[in-house]
Amino acid sequence: MIDIENLRLSIEGKEILKGIDLHLVPGDTYGLLGPNGAGKSTTIFALLGLSAYGSGRISVLGGDPAQHALSIRRSVGVMPEKAGFYDWMTAPDYLKWYGRLYDFSPTDEDVAKMLEKVGLGAVAHRPIGTYSRGMKQRLAVARALTPRPKLLILDEPTNGLDPKGRREIHDLLVEFAADGNAGVLLCTHLLDDVDRLCNRIGIIDNGRTQLEGSITDLLAEQVSGQRYRLRLETAPDTTNLPAGVVMAGHEGGWWRVQVQATPFGEPSALWPELWRRGWKILEIRSEASNLEELYMSHTGQDEAHNREAA
Amino acid sequence: MMNTIWTIVHKESAQMLRSQRGLLWLLAFSGLLSAFSLLLVSNTELSLLDNAQVVYMMAGTVLAAGALLSAILGSDAYAGEKERGTLVPLLCAPVAPSALLAGKAMGLLAAWGVMFAVATPYLWAVGASGQNLGAALFYLALFGTPVVLGFGYLAMALSARTGSVLASLLSTVTLLMLAASPLIIGPGLRGTAIGRALDAVNPFAGALNTFDSVIIDSDPFSAQTARLLLVIVWLGLCLIAARRSAARPDFQ
Repeated sequence: MIDIENLRLSIEGKEILKGIDLHLVPGDTYGLLGPNGAGKSTTIFALLGLSAYGSGRISVLGGDPAQHALSIRRSVGVMPEKAGFYDWMTAPDYLKWYGRLYDFSPTDEDVAKMLEKVGLGAVAHRPIGTYSRGMKQRLAVARALTPRPKLLILDEPTNGLDPKGRREIHDLLVEFAADGNAGVLLCTHLLDDVDRLCNRIGIIDNGRTQLEGSITDLLAEQVSGQRYRLRLETAPDTTNLPAGVVMAGHEGGWWRVQVQATPFGEPSALWPELWRRGWKILEIRSEASNLEELYMSHTGQDEAHNREAA
Repeated sequence: MMNTIWTIVHKESAQMLRSQRGLLWLLAFSGLLSAFSLLLVSNTELSLLDNAQVVYMMAGTVLAAGALLSAILGSDAYAGEKERGTLVPLLCAPVAPSALLAGKAMGLLAAWGVMFAVATPYLWAVGASGQNLGAALFYLALFGTPVVLGFGYLAMALSARTGSVLASLLSTVTLLMLAASPLIIGPGLRGTAIGRALDAVNPFAGALNTFDSVIIDSDPFSAQTARLLLVIVWLGLCLIAARRSAARPDFQ
């Protein structure tokens, strides 16, 4: 549904995207991750044909957005990061009006069902200007789903929602993705959303794709060792570490170590060795390898975080 | 394409008639016309102004108010949508830039139509006793529409290019004030070389001179063709500028 190869894009002479790769096939729920300013929104605008790209290749639903932007957008539901609406309209009027831009005329029943699904049924008669931020966020999801798209692109869809609202939006997205022919591209900072919803991810940083693949495979590759947090009586000598042990940071009295294959076999045999080397260990906690670590290790924030902690 | 344009026109017109902002503008416009017509009628009763002069001034006021409304709506067309966060959802939908521009321009025309309808009874009130009310209405529609729409296109061009309502509105209103200066500086200064040069290229002055010619001097239509050409050229140039800017509006 989306194939982006080595996409480069400049705005006013400044190179914003320096090599984006993104591959989304029907049935995928793809999490596009990256820090602020990494180029996530610019990538979305490029694949909708709103920003002209310099080099590389983009194919969305089989077409190049530079040439077939309108026909592509007709099949794509988009929830931009900033959920703006006409405050004087009511939600049903707005959804019907927006649907007509897609040559789609939802019935009153369709609109009422959609608003019920996103939890706005009870306030449907009120002008949108009276809605809270979370309610507008729900309406934005409804807006993206109303034209019954093949591909759904959501930029921070659960921002500002309470846990119940987030769960409802998650359920909606799961329901949408359950049709194996549809695809979802989800841009978010909330790794919990990605963990719950996505089967594939792409991590971009500084305009480049750093990592792309299935979450299961990437996490399996990530577990090349185990991480532990150690609380110590005194600061340890980090220059004299046993083979297979790497310092991973220092945070609030806890020292983080990455333990790969060691000559001591099981990690439990390592602790006496560290004790002999002057590590006065008071407490040991295991850290499971997870999405957050994967994200941090590919966005350059791990190093910055460690420097800050040190 | 037409369906998309009508969908946008529907929103633009409804916004004018249903939003607080639109209703306040219409109320202010009615208030202005009420005060102005009262002033003119009382002057007529004192025999200070003849009927044709009153109708001419009223038509000029309606044109100025229309052009100002056009500058405001045009400035809001892209930059206002951007500031309210509603531009990106519009651009993400399958809406061609030319359809969006056409929809916004037709919405502006609808607003001008409402203003024209509101102004008609006032023009009738001050000019019903004379012979030139019909000509005033006809030429206000014929010349006023391209002038008003031209200012709207110009404001939309700036609005789409700058992404700022304030920058666009200030620029358009400054140009509008410059164009409307013949109304302010009076016939004496307009007779100078600079005044005549300004009149020759100024669409606003072209429309006013036509009102003067047909309402006060009762000249025929054939005497207005050069000025009609001027306002049409003005409209064409503004349309070209708007199309260029609207093809890639500043939305980020």
